[in-house]
Amino acid sequence: MTAPPESSAASLPAGATAGRDVEVDLLVVGAGPAGLYATYYAGFRGLRTAVVDSLPEPGGQVMALYPEKAIYDVAGFPGIKGRDLVANLVAQAARFDPVYVLGERAETLTNEAGTTPRAGDRLVVTTDKGTRVHCGAVVITGGIGTFTPRPLPGGHAWEGRGLTYVVKELAAHTGQDVVIVGGGDSAVDWALALADIATSVTVVHRRKAFRAHAASVADMEAGPTTVVTDAQVSHLEGDDRLHTVHVQHKDGTVTAHPAQSVIAALGFTADIGPLERWGIDIADRKILVDTAMRTTVPGVYSAGDITEYPGKVRLIAVGFGEAATAVNNAATYLDPDQPLFPGHSSDDPAGIGAAAA
Amino acid sequence: MPYVIGSECIDTTDMSCVDECPVDCIYEGDRKLYINPKECIDCGACEPVCPVEAISQDRRVTEENEPHIADNRRFFIEPLPGRDAPLGSPGGASKVGKVGVDTELVTDA
Repeated sequence: MTAPPESSAASLPAGATAGRDVEVDLLVVGAGPAGLYATYYAGFRGLRTAVVDSLPEPGGQVMALYPEKAIYDVAGFPGIKGRDLVANLVAQAARFDPVYVLGERAETLTNEAGTTPRAGDRLVVTTDKGTRVHCGAVVITGGIGTFTPRPLPGGHAWEGRGLTYVVKELAAHTGQDVVIVGGGDSAVDWALALADIATSVTVVHRRKAFRAHAASVADMEAGPTTVVTDAQVSHLEGDDRLHTVHVQHKDGTVTAHPAQSVIAALGFTADIGPLERWGIDIADRKILVDTAMRTTVPGVYSAGDITEYPGKVRLIAVGFGEAATAVNNAATYLDPDQPLFPGHSSDDPAGIGAAAA
Repeated sequence: MPYVIGSECIDTTDMSCVDECPVDCIYEGDRKLYINPKECIDCGACEPVCPVEAISQDRRVTEENEPHIADNRRFFIEPLPGRDAPLGSPGGASKVGKVGVDTELVTDA
């Protein structure tokens, strides 16, 4: 798929994002289809726009769950693959050069004074990496929420003491005994990557069959990795740091595996997460909006799967319409002299005629 | 238009589907698993991994499993045997753990 535009956060050196300040008119929270279309639309309205997403690439649920699926119900496309739709949306928005803040989760919403926003306040959304996005309005297109690794049962106390959910640096496992839990591509790919770096690699999977690509599984089975199937981690043991992983097998027996690291690759689940603490009215993890896609916080709008109102239908097509409604209403909130109706894109009213096709 | 778990799951509860569900909306009763229709996002990730082919879209269930459409919903919106309040939409099966009881339809199966 198309990489996010190079003008985005991606062009900053690693680590340079910490404590960064981004100044825009409008912030879009969530880079799925609705968010990318909102980003395009905000640009079309002449708004300087940023878009934040916890995933490292745009596309949200479509890219995370079904990039290869054909979608047949997007207006104007008799059929389009998920990843192609996302690439097109990114290209459509790119014309207005939005700022992408990817791989960062929007954590808090305040005003510039750090307190609960009131009508007309400039807003600040801060991410888990410390980036502060200053904006006049926000459109939340958070879909099913933010993706987080599925926790290893009973593992909580061991985070930072041997348990990790991602391999950030292969070299960090040099000379270690490593236990990897899971049966998907991540588990098998990490086993292959660590086979020559770690002292030993053991993969523990709850079932006999792996979900990972067959060729990768064959490579793993041919290599030095110890593969333990029909088994799951029963508990972790150690002092300050983990030293043993106890694995319970289907027949009830428990075996002990020395390990200084356990990597849990159990997939991801989505959760509305920090949005629940933004002071917005939320019911059953959905954001309540009115016909202008306004939330209960002034200047904060919402669109797409995350919204709820009577008669709501959760489709990409509907999300696009809501995104346009949200952004156009946000534009009049930001500048009451601006008309709600944006004009027709074929007339290019945003004053960027040179960029028009 | 959620996915639905049918009678094939009874006394199987393989749990492969639970590992796949990106919104953690498949809850464990006693002898069967249930999909929360309000939390299901219709992504279909659970369907192919079920070893007994118990899962289908609610528009495509077999005639035999037709009662399970309402029954999956009932598991969440009606108080289960021995409970005062319905389970509702807790927003994640792993937060709830094994519920340990089934609907009447499943108990009587």
